[in-house]
Amino acid sequence: MADFLLLGLFDNVETTADVVDEVRALGVPDEQMTVMSHVPYSSKIFARKPVRLWFLPFVLGGAALGALVAFFLTYGTSYLYPIEVGGQGLNPVPPTAIIYFEMISLFSMLGAFAGFLLQNRFPILTRRMYDERISDGYIGLEVCAPLAVAEQVVTVFEAHHARVIKREDAAAFKPQGIRHLLFWGAVGTGGLVAVLVPLLLSYDIVRVPWINKMDDTVVVRAQEGPRLAAPVGAVPVQGPVFIAGEPATAPLPASEVSLQRGQMLYGTNCAMCHGLQGDRAGAEVGKYFPEIPQSLGARAAILSDQDLFRVIRLGRNRMPGLAENLSPGETWDIVNYVRSLGE
Amino acid sequence: MLESRATIGPYWDEPLPDDEHLARQVEHGREEHLMLDARPPAELNQLTLARMRQTGPRFWIALAGLGALTLAFFIAWAIQIVSGLGITGLNRSVMWGPYIANLIYFIGIGHAGTFISAALRLMRMDFRRPIARAAETITLFGLACAALFPIIHVGRIWKLFYMLPIPNQRDLWPNFRSALFWDMMAITTYLIGSTLFMYVALIPDLAMARDHMTGWRRKLYSALSLGWRGTEGEWHRLEVVSNLLSFVIIPVMFSVHTGVSWNLSMAIQPGWHSAIFGPFFVVGALYSGVAAVILVMIIVRKTMRFGYFMREEHFNAMGIFLLILTLTWIYFYFAEWITNWYGNLPLEKAVQAMLTGPLAPLFYLMLFCNIVVPLGTLWSRRVRTSLPAMLVIGILIQVGMYIERVLIVSGSLSRNELPFNWVNYTPHWPEVTVTLGTLAFLGLLYMVYTRFVPIIPVWEVYEGQAMQGSRRVGRAVMSTRTEVH
Repeated sequence: MADFLLLGLFDNVETTADVVDEVRALGVPDEQMTVMSHVPYSSKIFARKPVRLWFLPFVLGGAALGALVAFFLTYGTSYLYPIEVGGQGLNPVPPTAIIYFEMISLFSMLGAFAGFLLQNRFPILTRRMYDERISDGYIGLEVCAPLAVAEQVVTVFEAHHARVIKREDAAAFKPQGIRHLLFWGAVGTGGLVAVLVPLLLSYDIVRVPWINKMDDTVVVRAQEGPRLAAPVGAVPVQGPVFIAGEPATAPLPASEVSLQRGQMLYGTNCAMCHGLQGDRAGAEVGKYFPEIPQSLGARAAILSDQDLFRVIRLGRNRMPGLAENLSPGETWDIVNYVRSLGE
Repeated sequence: MLESRATIGPYWDEPLPDDEHLARQVEHGREEHLMLDARPPAELNQLTLARMRQTGPRFWIALAGLGALTLAFFIAWAIQIVSGLGITGLNRSVMWGPYIANLIYFIGIGHAGTFISAALRLMRMDFRRPIARAAETITLFGLACAALFPIIHVGRIWKLFYMLPIPNQRDLWPNFRSALFWDMMAITTYLIGSTLFMYVALIPDLAMARDHMTGWRRKLYSALSLGWRGTEGEWHRLEVVSNLLSFVIIPVMFSVHTGVSWNLSMAIQPGWHSAIFGPFFVVGALYSGVAAVILVMIIVRKTMRFGYFMREEHFNAMGIFLLILTLTWIYFYFAEWITNWYGNLPLEKAVQAMLTGPLAPLFYLMLFCNIVVPLGTLWSRRVRTSLPAMLVIGILIQVGMYIERVLIVSGSLSRNELPFNWVNYTPHWPEVTVTLGTLAFLGLLYMVYTRFVPIIPVWEVYEGQAMQGSRRVGRAVMSTRTEVH
């Protein structure tokens, strides 16, 4: 016997609750009725069975998946790409906790959302009984009943002044079945392919014969020989520096040119602490380091040229060494300039 | 005998009491409170949808203006990519300038949206109902704009793939010991969570739009509303999933700005290395975020003529929220400042001397915008409910909080452990253009979005209205509220 789908629209909650009662009295089970509304009215209002909820497995499953992802990201990848420190892999706990927190949160939210979609069978891909006036405030009651009962239901609807009554053959409404699962399966597969294809390519599992000049060059991996010799004219960065025309450590005469160079270099490297005249005047940093001498000239007077050279190169107390910033010749220029400051 | 209101008619048809005195009170209540002023949903649906489709000349002028600024932003960025970061004012000590301040700022204004929505939802505050989506939208686009800045900031964007966990010839992998990576994870989680949270609450309104629209819009909304019919099961699950997402997203929201602050405070840079930075940044983010929500409420109400939905009570409630955050922010800033001041460490003193020295105009402007103005005005209900006043206060707080971020990032960096690296920083034109352009870009995205999506969550308003009514107590009419679960 063919079933019928009926939809009645009612003005308010109270009438709808009455209709639900009377339709149930006609022998229509609760599962064959659906109430639709524009506000979240609960089942209790219509004296109907509460809706069953299955969120917990989704949320917990999501959280577990998130924990697994976090485990892979933290311990898994440091196992795959180890950084050895003191003969051990580097796996500090506190950052790991942060990654766990974020991944568990993310995946439990995704799990809750997935639960919402799957329990509601969203997206609905088949035709459903509906009326657009429901979102304007009418309350819709959908009843599925065999022909004989359907007639009586219509009578009940009319007795309660239903605004609209729709009546259609239930065969016109195919059940949703697993369509929504197929839909999400297709979406998921598409997403997986979109992630996997670049990964397969980048891990060289699928090889594309790109024309690549890098294949022809010699591969020298980190910490492997042969070590290439320095090109001609390169300057060694460690050890003594011998450059033609530049004195190594021999003092430079305090010529006009040397003093000029010294003044410029002093302004760049020393003045921010010692002041332009060696008296700390206008030196922003000097305020915070009381041990900087009031008069650089007076302080320098008790040192030999070689001592002065060493202090500038290597630093003293809290003064940083400037060996990296100055060539030996430049250092002598500064020594000459400091001597010229006077006491 | 229980008397049901529903026997008389639907909730929006509640008749006035016969007593004239009481009737006047009920009418007054309806004028004051959106939740008591129920109107037929058909009418409100039409109102919301009509505003959504409406694009007057002023809309197009604003769109063109914001579009031009956005274009300037992309051109400036393109020039910066071609020329390199050298054309900006960034230098060896101040390598983090306004771009990173912008990242913090845009994440900050994105903060309040989901927080207002989620926290007030769990606490069942009715004033959130009409403003929830306007706030969530700021989160969405604020985070999207923020996500641009690391990309703009790295300069050589063609090497961006170094950050992706794909195999490469150097056997490198994103480093989970790096604070930058924690932050990226937190932002990603928050962006995805906020999008889900917003979308779930959007489904019934999209279904409503589907029911009333024709043509391509109907097709779009049909697809997006997933076949929503408003059955009891659907509603109940919507309620539960929203609550679940709210519970998860609040701690995530805290982790996001804490993560941003850890980008700074994990470094032993004076002015940054501070345990209070996490909560301090969260409060700062909420502060600028709530002010941004108020600004958006004013603009949406004014331009889309939503005076019915956004009333004085909503501005009042948000104003009180803002006042509380002002006090909290002041407390945190003071706690941070006085700890450094009392410690008297040379380098921290140097940073403070920088703020009260060369950067003093910005520093005192920030104190004025963030402390003097809000604290001096927001205690007054007249100010809180005055739209022009709130507009000015909101803008001042944006300015103040932006300066605060710039001072923390660039101000602290200009004084570091190596005194010969001390420099001052001045922005050049790319930073200025990119910053202003991104603000315009945010406005542009927001504007377009309001024409595609009902910016008022009407179902939440109906829910509140259906569950609220008035009840006589003695000679007065009081509003009552029902929970239907």
